[in-house]
Parts: sequence; C-alpha cells; structure tokens
Amino acid sequence: MSQFTQQVILGLLLGGIYVAVALGFSLVWGILNIVNLAHGALVIVGSYITWDLFTRWHIDPFLSLPIDALVLFVIGYALQRGVINRVIRAPLLFTFLLTFGINLIIVSLLLLIFTPDFRSVTPSYSGNGLHLGSVTIPYIRFGGLVVAFLLAGAMWTILNRTRIGAAILAVGADRDAAQLVGIDLRHMYALTFGIGAAFAGVAGGIISTFQSITPTAGDPYTLQAFAVVILGGLGRVSATVLGGLTFGLIEILGQSGPGPGYANAIAFVVLVIVLVVRPRGLLGRLA
Amino acid sequence: MRREKLGILLALTAVVVTACGGASGGGTPTTGAAIVFGAAVSLTGAQSKEGGLTKQGYDLWLDWINQRGGIVVNGVKHPVQIKYEDDQSTPNLSATLVQKLITDEKAQFILGPYGSAATATDAIVAEKNGVPMVEANGAAQSIFSKGYKFTFGVLSPANKYLTGVLDMAATLSPKPTTIAMLTANDNFSVEVAKAVEDYAPTKGFQVIFTKQYPAAAPEVSGLISQAARLNPDIVMNSGHLAESIAINKGAKQLGLNAKIFAYSVGPSTPDFIKALGPDANYVFDGSQWTPQVKYKPSFYLSVSEYVKAYKTKYSTTDDPDYHVAESTAACLAFQKAIENAGSLDATKVRDALAGLDVMTFFGQIKFDSRGINTFKPMVVEQIQNGTHYTVFPADVANGKPQYPTPPWSSR
Repeated sequence: MSQFTQQVILGLLLGGIYVAVALGFSLVWGILNIVNLAHGALVIVGSYITWDLFTRWHIDPFLSLPIDALVLFVIGYALQRGVINRVIRAPLLFTFLLTFGINLIIVSLLLLIFTPDFRSVTPSYSGNGLHLGSVTIPYIRFGGLVVAFLLAGAMWTILNRTRIGAAILAVGADRDAAQLVGIDLRHMYALTFGIGAAFAGVAGGIISTFQSITPTAGDPYTLQAFAVVILGGLGRVSATVLGGLTFGLIEILGQSGPGPGYANAIAFVVLVIVLVVRPRGLLGRLA
Repeated sequence: MRREKLGILLALTAVVVTACGGASGGGTPTTGAAIVFGAAVSLTGAQSKEGGLTKQGYDLWLDWINQRGGIVVNGVKHPVQIKYEDDQSTPNLSATLVQKLITDEKAQFILGPYGSAATATDAIVAEKNGVPMVEANGAAQSIFSKGYKFTFGVLSPANKYLTGVLDMAATLSPKPTTIAMLTANDNFSVEVAKAVEDYAPTKGFQVIFTKQYPAAAPEVSGLISQAARLNPDIVMNSGHLAESIAINKGAKQLGLNAKIFAYSVGPSTPDFIKALGPDANYVFDGSQWTPQVKYKPSFYLSVSEYVKAYKTKYSTTDDPDYHVAESTAACLAFQKAIENAGSLDATKVRDALAGLDVMTFFGQIKFDSRGINTFKPMVVEQIQNGTHYTVFPADVANGKPQYPTPPWSSR
C-alpha cells in the first residue's frame, strides 16, 4: 500500500513539472492559435540560465526562477514581435514551420554557447526529502510542484483579474473585434508569447535540478506539453493543471505497473480515448 | 690490426644497413594520393556529446599520421583525409550519409558512427558497397551476428560492460548478493543487462529486480522507489549518460542505498562528475579504457603520451575518456591493416583487418570471426573524491575499490 502511495506522490510531483511546462504552451496555443514547437527549447534556455547562475555565482536554483522568467519574457516578446507576428494570420502550417525553425536555431545556439556537455544543478539539499513513514517526498520535486501551483495561480490571476488579461482573452476570442475596441494587437500577441515563454523558463529552471540538461533535452517537453493540453483541454488554467497531474500519474503508475516501456503507450491511449469521447479535453471549453 | 678489422666491420655494417633501408624504403618515400576516410558522426542532436568525442578521437590520430606524412603503402606515403557528415543522432540518416560518403565523396574506408543503432545501419551500407568499416562505438553484438564481412569493431562487446563489476564484487567483503537492474530499451543496453542476468548466478549473485525503461525519457523515479523497497546490495544501470545522472539523483532523493552503484555508460565522462559533484563519488562503471591502463603498445603513442597529446590538442585539463580512445584505436586498426596489406584495395585491406593482431595504447586489437574484438578486457573504474581510479582488474589498477558505499545520509 505504501508502495502505491509513494508512486502516487511521485506521479503528482512529476505532474507538477508537466503543469509548469504546459501552462505557457497552452496560453500561446489558446490565445494565438500557435502550436509552439520551440516551447521545449525555451524551457531549456531557462534551465541553462539557472545552471549558469548556480555554477557562476552559487545562486540557489529556486531564487533564479524570477530571472529565468524575466529573460525568457524578453526573448519571447522579441521573437513574437519581430518574427512570428509576420505570419500570425497565415494558416497553421506556416506557424508550425516557423516555430520548428526557431526551435532548431535555439538548439544550435545553445550547442554553440554551452557545448553538448551534460549539465545539472545539484544544490546541497538536492537529495534530501521528507520521510513520512515509508514514504519519501523529495524536497526538490516538492518545490517544483509548489512552483507549478504558484504559476497556475499567477496565470489565472493575470487572465481573470487584470486589464492585460482581459485584453489577452479578448484577442483570443476575436482578433478583429479586439482591434476595433482599441487593443494593440501586435503588442498583445507579443505580450502573450512573452508570458508563455516566461512560464517555460521557470519550468526549465525547476527541471535543471533533477534532470541533466543538454541543448536537445527540450524536445520531449514540447511533446509532453502538447499531450497535457490535449488531455486537459484548451482555454482554462484548471484544465492544464488537471491534464499535467493526470499525465504525471499515468507515467509513474505505468512504470510500476505494466512497465516503463508501456507508460507512454498508456498515456497516449488515454489521450486518444479522451479525444474520441470528449474532443475538447477533460475540462476544455468549446471553441 | 684488430682495431682496423673492427673499423672495416663497422663500415660494412653501415653500408649494409643503408642498402637495406634503401631497398625497403626507396630512400625517402614519395608522396602518393590522399587516402579518404569517411565518417558520419553525431555532431548535433541527442548524441552530439558522444559524437563529438568520437570525432576528437579520429582527429587526434589524423594529426599524428599526417605529421608523419601519412600511411606508408609499399614505401609510398599517403596523406590522410577524413570527410565528416553529421548524422544528427538519427541512425537511418547515418546510413544515407555513409552511402553519400562512398559515392559522392569517394571515401575509400569508413570509420564508424557513434552508437550501436547507427553502427548497425551503417554496417549494411559498408557491406553492400564492399567498403571496409572499422567502428569504435557500437558494442552491441547483434551488429556482428549478420555475417557481415566488412565491419570490424575495436571495442569490447556489450556483454562485457558490467560483468567486470560482478567479478570485482565477488572479491569484496562482505560480499554483496542482490542486484537491481535498470535497463534502457535499446539494443546495446539490453545486451549489457542480459549478460549481467546470465552471468550473475554463476558468481553467486541474485538479480531481484529488473525493469526496462524507454531510452529517450530519463524519468525513472517510479522505478527507483520500487527498487529502494527491495534494498538491493548492487544497483546497476545499463543505459546512457543522461539516465545515469537521473538515477544517481533519484537514488539520493528517494533513499535508495546500495553497497555498489554501477552504471554502464556515463560515470567515465567528466560530465558525470561535473553534474553531480560529490554525489558522483563511489560510483563504479565498466570502461573500455582508462588513462591508467598499462598496455605496452607496439606503435603510435604510449598511454601517457596519448593523454598528453589529447590535453594539448583540445586545450583541456580533462583526461580523454574511453570514447575518444576507442575512436583513435579504430584509426590505428585501419592504419596497421593498410600497411600490412601493402595496398589500398578494399578487399585486401579487409583481409588484413581480419588477420590483424596488434597491441596499442588502447589494448590488443584482434578480431574474432564475426569481427568483434573479444581479446581486449574491460576495466572497472570508480569515482573517488571526484577523480577516476581504475580499481579492477588488479594488474592494471591504480586504486582499490572503496566499499561499501556509505548510505546517502552519512556522506
């Protein structure tokens, strides 16, 4: 039983990471209708910033998260304003192609700057955990889950309690109408993408503490963010949270049950079933 | 009188020696056309790190041989070129690029890519074109079970990677008995694990936990917590660098305390120590080669000269890891085989490779009938206070195993 409890806890902790990774992806997809294939690369940029600050100035990885957010926001804003805005009204394939190219460029730049060496952030407390009977909760991963919930809360607050959030939602609902009421579309697009990138950066900072990072380590995260958003549904923060936690649980329980080789298979079978039975995702809004 | 005779004798000897030298070398050998080697290695993508190490090994030899004017074929020195393609860590692309190297870039010989998967596909192309390939980074025996005639591997096969750790563990006291095995599901890692599972009972060990995970996704916390419940004496990972780091971190976080942690790939690279800091200590790995081994090479550099040449060329303080050394060894096999064949003809060089038996800084290079170098042993390394020590077998070791590994809580 305690074995099962342990697996559930690990699943939720892993799910927290997926929530953090998927929040920004979901925002960009939901509002801008861009499936951002460079999302995983942005995540890893965040990882490298945390790693760099940790190795250079011994800044605690959790303290560097706001810096990740800030740097990635600037990168994201500039990318959207300078590049992606040009094809934002083009068919989906164009943005696909463009973000795929951006992904390649970011990965190659990381390769040039950081070389393909494996890096990891290992602070002194990295191996400690809370021991409750025979169940262990690693502090780092628990910290990741807490950050994920803070991010989700921040995202919800931005979207539902601020003027900027209202403007972002308006752009998502109807671009032309939003422009008619005086919203600066190009600025709003860039702002949305910047926020998405900032959230990706924070997720990357967390990831660097328990996995090794390389320039290409981001690719699986794009796929996972995609799956989480499909599973949970577009358009709601709570949907991303539910999707992420479910995905983490499936992965860990899949590892201990039928075997890790099947974990992804199970996750995607669940995904297909959700798509068939409830095409808008578990909590998604109807378009 | 006596002195005169001696003088005449010396003069005669000198004449004879010069004459012989002239006959075999033709004075200074004239320079021939460049010999073109082709290599498709991973310079981008998931395996760009290992691919980069492979290229370093090739380039180290390339500099050395060209400083000497090239490979001597029948008294004629042929300078060497290596043409590279980037397989982007995609095995199928690797095969396409090898074909391109052979047809478009006129590569006469192929140096292997990084990894068993890419090597397996490249071997098909080499065979089809009748171009010899010597590879240094594909240890899966399945590559050599298809009856290919043109592919040779200088490295010890996959089944030897972790069995050395078991040989060592059998000598330790108190003797560990139980093993938990975490295996990536690629052909190389599965072979490594299978060999451990077959070999363990013969040495009195019991494998109590064995699970495979997908090679691309190093999220293994669920598996580690399962293994931790069983309190295994030995935790083994047959996988790759990324997973060995994740497993070591996970073991600490989830309180998996074993007497021996041994990983097939990863701990030998400097990255492992840099990424984990003091947590890397006590970890064992099976290594193709270490800078401490004591082989007496018949040509090329000695082990210490090799390490020095590496550090100079790449301006680093890191020792070359075994991926670099084995890649250089592949070049040495080609060099010797071409010299022995006295020809650049593909089939003659292939035959010379099949009959090769030479001692290098990397160890003995000799191929069995399948083309695998089963004659070179693997060594066991341990990280002690942030430094690699060769700890087994005793005759090449420069340190003793630190055993048992203390629990995480008291480090």
